[in-house]
Amino acid sequence: MTDFDWMKIPYALLTVFIVVNFGMLLGAFIQKIGARVGRRHGIPIWQYYADLIKNYGLRTSITHGAMFYLGPVFRLTGGVGLLLFVPTIYGSYMFSNFSFAGDLILALYFVFFGTLGMALGDGESGHPNAAIGITRGLSQVTAAELPFALAVFAVALQYQTLSVTDIVAAQQGGMHNWTLFTNPLAVAAAMLGFLGSMMRPPFDVVIAPQEIPIGPPTEYHSSYLALMQTNRAIFPIAKIVIYMNLFFGGAASWPVFFLKVFALYMVSVIVGVVFPRFRVEQSIRWFLIWALPIGVLAILWV
Amino acid sequence: MIVQVALATGFVLILIGIYGALTQRNLLRMIVAFTVANSGVNLVIVAVGYLPGRTAPILDATVPAAEAAARIIDPVPQALVLTAIVIGLGVTALMLAFAYKLYEKRRSLDIARFSELKW
Amino acid sequence: MVSPILIIALGLGTAFLLGFLKDSQRGLAWLVTLAALAGMSGVSGTWLWALAEGTAQPMDVWTAGTPPPFAINLRMALPEAALTLLISLTGLLSALSLRDALLARGRRAMAVLLVISMALCGVVLTRDVFNLFVFFELIVIATGGLVLLSEDHRAVAAGFKYMVVAQFISIFLLLGIIFAYHATGSLNLDDMTHAGLLGHPVGAIAFFMLFIALVAELKPFPANGWALDIYESAHPGFSALFSAATGAAALFAVDKLLLVGGETWLPVATGIGLVTFVAANLLALPQTHDRRLLGYSSVAQTGLVLVVLGQRDILGDQTYYIAGGILLAHAVAKAGLYWLSGLVRERHLEAWAILRNSPLLVFAFATFLALLTGLPPFPGFYAKWDLIHLLAGEGRLWLLGLILLGALVESGYLFRWFGYIIKRQAPASESLEPNAWQVIPVLVAAAMSWALAWLWGDLSGHGNLLLVLPLIFALAFLFLDDLPAWLKNSLAIAGLLAWFGLTYELYDPLRLIFAAIFLPGGALVLLASYHAHGSRTGFYPSAMLMYAGLAMLILARTSFEFFAAWELLTIGSYFLILRGKESEPHALSYLLFSLGGAFLILAGFALAAQGQADMAMAALAQVAEPLAPWVFLLLAVGFMTKTAAIGLHIWLPGAHAEAETDVSPLVSGILLKAGLYGLFVLLMAMGSQTLYGLNLTHAMLWIGAITALVGNLLAVFQEDAKRLLAYSSIGQMGYALFGLAMMNHLGWLMALMFVINHYVYKSMLFLSVGGIAKRTGTRLMYRMGGLITLMPLSFIAVLIGIIAISGVPPLSGFGGRWIFYNAILDSEARLPIIILFLAGPIAFLYLFRLIHTIFLGQLKDELRQIREAPFWIVMPQMIFVAILLVVAVVPGLVLRRVDAYITQFFPQGALNWEGLTITSQYGWWNPVAIMIIVGVIFMSIFAWLLFVNRKAQKVKQFNIVFSAERPYRPETTHHAWNFFAPYRKALGFLTVPLVTLFWNGVTDTLHAGADFVRRFYTGNGQTYAFHFIIFVLAVWGLAMGARA
Repeated sequence: MTDFDWMKIPYALLTVFIVVNFGMLLGAFIQKIGARVGRRHGIPIWQYYADLIKNYGLRTSITHGAMFYLGPVFRLTGGVGLLLFVPTIYGSYMFSNFSFAGDLILALYFVFFGTLGMALGDGESGHPNAAIGITRGLSQVTAAELPFALAVFAVALQYQTLSVTDIVAAQQGGMHNWTLFTNPLAVAAAMLGFLGSMMRPPFDVVIAPQEIPIGPPTEYHSSYLALMQTNRAIFPIAKIVIYMNLFFGGAASWPVFFLKVFALYMVSVIVGVVFPRFRVEQSIRWFLIWALPIGVLAILWV
Repeated sequence: MIVQVALATGFVLILIGIYGALTQRNLLRMIVAFTVANSGVNLVIVAVGYLPGRTAPILDATVPAAEAAARIIDPVPQALVLTAIVIGLGVTALMLAFAYKLYEKRRSLDIARFSELKW
Repeated sequence: MVSPILIIALGLGTAFLLGFLKDSQRGLAWLVTLAALAGMSGVSGTWLWALAEGTAQPMDVWTAGTPPPFAINLRMALPEAALTLLISLTGLLSALSLRDALLARGRRAMAVLLVISMALCGVVLTRDVFNLFVFFELIVIATGGLVLLSEDHRAVAAGFKYMVVAQFISIFLLLGIIFAYHATGSLNLDDMTHAGLLGHPVGAIAFFMLFIALVAELKPFPANGWALDIYESAHPGFSALFSAATGAAALFAVDKLLLVGGETWLPVATGIGLVTFVAANLLALPQTHDRRLLGYSSVAQTGLVLVVLGQRDILGDQTYYIAGGILLAHAVAKAGLYWLSGLVRERHLEAWAILRNSPLLVFAFATFLALLTGLPPFPGFYAKWDLIHLLAGEGRLWLLGLILLGALVESGYLFRWFGYIIKRQAPASESLEPNAWQVIPVLVAAAMSWALAWLWGDLSGHGNLLLVLPLIFALAFLFLDDLPAWLKNSLAIAGLLAWFGLTYELYDPLRLIFAAIFLPGGALVLLASYHAHGSRTGFYPSAMLMYAGLAMLILARTSFEFFAAWELLTIGSYFLILRGKESEPHALSYLLFSLGGAFLILAGFALAAQGQADMAMAALAQVAEPLAPWVFLLLAVGFMTKTAAIGLHIWLPGAHAEAETDVSPLVSGILLKAGLYGLFVLLMAMGSQTLYGLNLTHAMLWIGAITALVGNLLAVFQEDAKRLLAYSSIGQMGYALFGLAMMNHLGWLMALMFVINHYVYKSMLFLSVGGIAKRTGTRLMYRMGGLITLMPLSFIAVLIGIIAISGVPPLSGFGGRWIFYNAILDSEARLPIIILFLAGPIAFLYLFRLIHTIFLGQLKDELRQIREAPFWIVMPQMIFVAILLVVAVVPGLVLRRVDAYITQFFPQGALNWEGLTITSQYGWWNPVAIMIIVGVIFMSIFAWLLFVNRKAQKVKQFNIVFSAERPYRPETTHHAWNFFAPYRKALGFLTVPLVTLFWNGVTDTLHAGADFVRRFYTGNGQTYAFHFIIFVLAVWGLAMGARA
């Protein structure tokens, strides 16, 4: 917990810059992997950059109102904030970001900042599909967040701290010190919850990416969509950073960081390409029946 | 002895009266039953106050005031009975008036027919 | 002093004198009657005054100049003076109420009225059993006569039934008298006592006969069918006399006799009274006939007084204070209600809605109701308090429980009736034609009620509630009720602020928070009331009564003050809630749960006080095992009814949702905190308690967690915006309860954080939603939509509100969550914590629903013209927004001192407030930094978007396409109804209203049971006689049992 100094700002921007680029490449790469599993060729690796530039460059742009306009701003603020409230690289002053502002709880609750703003903005478009997507997403996330929240609490109990840095510190000195091995139940629960929050099958009916557009992307276009795409690059990684720090020993350097984030991402990808899609009520039940009890056990076991 | 007989008779009359009042459905018969019971009560009161071998509680030449306490029976129950009879008369008269009014309205003296007020 | 015998002489003499008047001089005869009754009242009144002042001594009158047993003697002492005054005044006022009937029948009827008043006084005054018999027979005959004054032809049958039973009674009475005389040689009650009547061989049976005969005059259950029939059919003026005066006289006769019987017969009296009290109240439940209902209530109240008389062994000197409080309250109220019933033409309860045309009569009715149910500041309240305390002190807990149960049932049917008056539609045939002769007695009774309230307060050892400034202030609004609302509102606000200023010094940091919410917080919410027009009859007395209760609550130092304040705030808020359009059943359920809770609190205090009449609140800490956990349990459950803990929560959604726009924030944002305050006080004093190995605070933890879960879950599925907020309150209170029950430093801090936050955002949201409902004419969210542009300020308030509730940084809700996480790290109770985790995210669902379906989506055609909510409703919301933002940035402003204050209870775990960062043992949190960081990121991205998207074009509503069509009907396009359909599919089974079903089952069973049992009152006079015989046998059995 270090206090603020002005150098933190350029350092934080650097973090954001690295993560955005990594996220863009990773996203495209993973989409390519998904395509290859389906025996398709897939997109080029720079596709995300092309999309982003195109969307920022589009001249047609409409707005449904103030909240609609602000939705993507909320969304991206949520992603960037989440990233910056957690130290990215363990032991590095440079990449400790703004973690002086708050601990793990701040990160956990800030996740919802973007979600809420996004949902509100999208709601103002008046498109029913947007609202339906959001209701589905919210319904599912309340169930999917549970095992994760329980796991976080179990970890906090285990290490008797809410400081991400301290939790990572406690896991240093070899893989056997990772929460993965010291508290496998918590990690199992968290990883099941993880599947639910990555917008991949079997839990992707929320945005139904392959069919009719639903949820936030329904009405957002051009620069709005570009902001959301930027967020799409940051947000999963920001989230994985938390997982990595809490359960997998954190990362003391960027290469380790890239590796671990990729590996964790792949968990959801592998599950996603193997399993078909759940309806929302099915996924809610699934989380409550399979993931939740593990989370409960994790807490009782600590 | 006479006290016991009077007492027993009184109680029998009371029981007859109560039995009658509970079983007779005719208003007039109920009223008669009550007068029977009242007579029984009065009899009991008098019997309780009676002391064998004494005279009526009237102070005159035969019973000078000085000896009264030893020679007369207790006058209080008798006074009570007198009052009770008067009151009983009043109540009975009132009940009869009620019975008349009820009969006027319904052309019936059956108590079971006057049960609109209930529950 | 004039001789008390003048009372008898005046009555009897005037009755004879009336015979000398011509039958045509009816008006004169009536005036003479009034004069005689006034004279009787005057004699009693001067005696009462002199005896109370001590300028006269109690006296015995020897009627024939000789002492008993040779002549009848009358006694005049304080109780006799009070009762004869009651009787003759009731007679006088009834003579007014009966005016038309009396003038129609002429002087004989008036003579009968005089005779009954005289005879009733005689029953009170005489010390001679045979004289008692004579007076009772006079009452019987006079009653028979006066019953006939009724226009109801069924009254004749009722009179006959009465006389049948009276005959039975007189048989027992006479036999009892003669045997008692035989045993003791005297007819004088005092002589019988000295001679030891019960010691004599026939003494016991003689006493039993006397006792049964006199008790039967009290209309005990089940031998009371005849009395109910009279109550139902007689002229209300007579019923008033029959209930108030006959009941009082007969009770006093029984009391005199009980002194002869000594302690062995007290339990029998208690038993009869208790059975009567409970049974009559239960049987009254299904009644729809107003006068019969009052009859049941009369029977019940008489039974209660008999219970008190039967408890003389432990009540001692207090007996007359307690019995008198209940008896006089009952008599005045019941007489007042019967006189009032003369103004209503139809005989079912809804017809009384006509009273609404006259606020004065509604006020009188409410006064009588409060009097009957023993609410402060009326005598029944003081009496109930002392009675319960003495019973608890002696460990007579069954009795205590049954009395409170009966009282609760009674409040149930009485307040249900009040709800009808305020809310139902009077039948078309009704019209209120106030007739001075009928209104005057009612108003006099109402005035007497307040006089009695003063008197009993003055006599009580706890201080006179009518002297407490906040209550005086609240009551003053009764007189100001005709002023315009804005003026009263300004007065109310000024009063709240002034009181806060006056008492500011008295609060410790914890109480200061509550005081700030109750007083200036209340004033802030009252700003919204400026939008009301006209005089808003009834609003301010009710609201200020609630505020008075709240103000007194935080200053209460003793349990009595606390409880009185608690009842005041309950009753005030009940009146407030009842003002809502559809709130009748909900207000009733609120009141019943609250009173039930209040009774538990009363029982808890009584148990804790251990025979003391009162105790300091702080003394709760000294309550020892094995009592302490029970006291804790009673108090905790009592307080939890107010915070709507699960199982006791079903009153809240309706009550909060149906209340008026500016009332909902009062009862939600402010009133709910009273329960939390109670819990704070309780836990501070008593800490954790263990009952049969169960840690009670641990149980509270579970209750809090489940409440949070259920409240949140049910909120998700509401279509009605205010109900949604109401269920959300249940959930929030669950969190606060949980925080308290954690019994650690941060848990309490969290609970306080919820106290503050919930006040701010729930008041704000209720105002927003209320303003919207006002404009749209509906509270159903699916009928709204797209209001963001029409009501932008309301939108901002709701937006800020939901961000704050959901705990998303950077607003103040996050602080609560952060403290919560830190607190649970200190707690060992893991399982309930898991339940709370389940509850957490659900809040997002209902909050999103709230804002989306109202403000976003599609605007409906019929709502295109609406405007922003009224200024005075929006203004406080904006202040709340400002408060939320300030608290979000500098939570230390309010929390820091409390944090230090809590340290005295839990030294471990205090937060560190150095600098801008708030640090706990586990983590940290810097609200200023968060606000700045989030703000900077947000503004940068916003600026970027504005730059790249500067040419964005605003489009119209239907500029969307789906399913290959451009929609044109907002109704089919606005996704709002059953918003979370998948969620319902998955978890809807959890929303089965089990608790509602349970409580409905309880009330239905009571109703159906009572409806079945009351059928044994067949209406046949002979059956009633059988009931009497059964009663005699049952009492005989009871007495034998008691002796063995």
